Amino acid sequence: MSEEQPPILTASMHDLRHFATILRGINFNNVRATVTILHRGLLVKVEEARTITATAFIFSDIFDEYIYHSENQQNDNLMESSQGELLDNTMFEVSLNTLIDCLNIFGTGGPTSSGTGGSGGNKRWRKQGEGSDNESGEENEARGRGRRIEPISTTGSEKHTGMHMTYAGGGYPLTLLIAEDASGPTTTCEISTYEPEPQLDLDFDNDRMILKIILKSSWFRDALSELDPSCDKLTFVSNPPEMTNNPRNGKQRKGSATKPILRIKAGGNFGTTEMDYPNDRDVLESFECTRSISFSYRFTHIAKTLRALQSSTKTSLRIDDEGLLSLQFMMPSPKARGPEGEGAQAFIDFHCLPLDEDVV
Amino acid sequence: MRFRAAVEAVSVFYKITQAVEKLQKRFIIKFTPENMHIICNHEANEGGTQVWSQIKIDSIFADYRIQSNADNQITMAISSEALLAALRSASASSTSATAYQVEEILMKLAKKNDRAVLRFDITGTTSVGRRVKVTHDVLVDVMKPHEVAKLAEPLCPDPDLHILLPPLQKLRTIVERLRPMSDILAFRANNNGKLQVSISTETARVQTEWKNLLNPKLNEEQAEEEGEKDLDKIFTVHVSTRSFLKFLNSHVISTSTIACVCQNHCLILYVYIGDATDVGGVLTFYIPAIIDGD
Repeated sequence: MSEEQPPILTASMHDLRHFATILRGINFNNVRATVTILHRGLLVKVEEARTITATAFIFSDIFDEYIYHSENQQNDNLMESSQGELLDNTMFEVSLNTLIDCLNIFGTGGPTSSGTGGSGGNKRWRKQGEGSDNESGEENEARGRGRRIEPISTTGSEKHTGMHMTYAGGGYPLTLLIAEDASGPTTTCEISTYEPEPQLDLDFDNDRMILKIILKSSWFRDALSELDPSCDKLTFVSNPPEMTNNPRNGKQRKGSATKPILRIKAGGNFGTTEMDYPNDRDVLESFECTRSISFSYRFTHIAKTLRALQSSTKTSLRIDDEGLLSLQFMMPSPKARGPEGEGAQAFIDFHCLPLDEDVV
Repeated sequence: MRFRAAVEAVSVFYKITQAVEKLQKRFIIKFTPENMHIICNHEANEGGTQVWSQIKIDSIFADYRIQSNADNQITMAISSEALLAALRSASASSTSATAYQVEEILMKLAKKNDRAVLRFDITGTTSVGRRVKVTHDVLVDVMKPHEVAKLAEPLCPDPDLHILLPPLQKLRTIVERLRPMSDILAFRANNNGKLQVSISTETARVQTEWKNLLNPKLNEEQAEEEGEKDLDKIFTVHVSTRSFLKFLNSHVISTSTIACVCQNHCLILYVYIGDATDVGGVLTFYIPAIIDGD
């Protein structure tokens, strides 16, 4: 069939660790993921308990080769606009566990990769610290990144596992060809695909946003990992910075002494834990809050984000007026990038509905 | 009945025990004047895998003395866990500097409270130079000659092919990933160096393929026959993924492994111990085929 009609998707990469790390970040227990193929890349989405969704955005430029032959060719003119591009997609469902196990078949997409990803994240974190120390700004930092990331990826593992992925269309399996090197074994995986089922859409409307925080993932990770796993409820409390203070000025923390600008509260059968973040630009890169809020979430749901959080570099936390929580994790990219590549970094997006306080 | 020996290569003994320990709670050791045979033939063990092995006495023991009324052979049933614990105590201390340096390990058949035990006497010196003696008594059941006579290796047809497996450690990683996907694993190979390990379920079909592996010729007669056969013909045997994974536990000891496929009958695996030039022994795994594969 490939002779007459090119497959809908052909993608390949020489090192699949990055891809595997991102997918592992959204791996809830034994759920099917909905994969959406777009011209710009892949969108992989999972959902649990109709409360939490996780979406990974994997842009086409992390693949060495990425060709999408849309079935809807008549929409050519629509594709011009970005809206059209979003409409021009192909969706299917696939078992995420199986996909991840297949990617890790040689044990090379495994925890080692998240380990190196983690250390890469730490290095980058330090670099950004340096970047903000000297005022020379973004460009300097990006160049430093390009120079210094290279040794990490080469020392991480001597051997790269390459992958070639094709999807021929509805009813066909997702085919993966995985090989470690030319002399070694090759693995062919055909993973069954399913018709996509209607998805839970937890869209975050920026107009209704109350709280928006951007912080380094390590700050958020450290806070969450402090918490006892027996907690069942996690509450985010946030207050606008005192109006007398200039909210942009991190040096003045008078307001935060009385009313925390961000407090994470965890409660369970054995007690409660409270953690306050200072209004310091070194900690919270940006902080916007329009009114005081307090929303609670099930801890087990928030805990599902930990794996993605661990391999990410930066976190954006947003909450809207009904308590819908959006957590976006920027994933470190395997390639050295120039400043123009920054916009296309892969990221993982979690949306979580709050607990109904009246019931709980 | 007399039996005593010094355990020279305790790590080899330990690793062999480790390789078969997962298979059965109790297994049989048969000592003859030349060889040690470890046998796992329990019907009840999961998947029906059997292990028959032959290890040269020289590769593990020294000062080996054996005497019995049954052709100077002694056969005993022993708990794998208890034997492993005794050997661990003997081998771990020889590597770690904390406890004591092992100088000598003596193994002998003894009697304790009217029951037969395999006694391991470990002597060594502590870091301050004091002598220590550690004794492990592992309870054994010495088998009677008529019981031993009943032990028989499984009968298999002439294998369709022999193939040298890639390093078991690597194979194990792959099979570990396949384990959650399917209970049945297809093992395919041909006489032209090709090996395929695959699973096939509703959710996924995953196949890993090796090329350019060796097809060892066991004897000349077979080599002649081979000329007439179609080298590219693939022979398949379906086995339990879990059983195959248990065989792969022998990666700790193996240097090279040869697999034989008896199509629709069984998979036979010869795990060689020691250098290729000086083979100290061989563990033979028989994994029965699952016929209703697909």
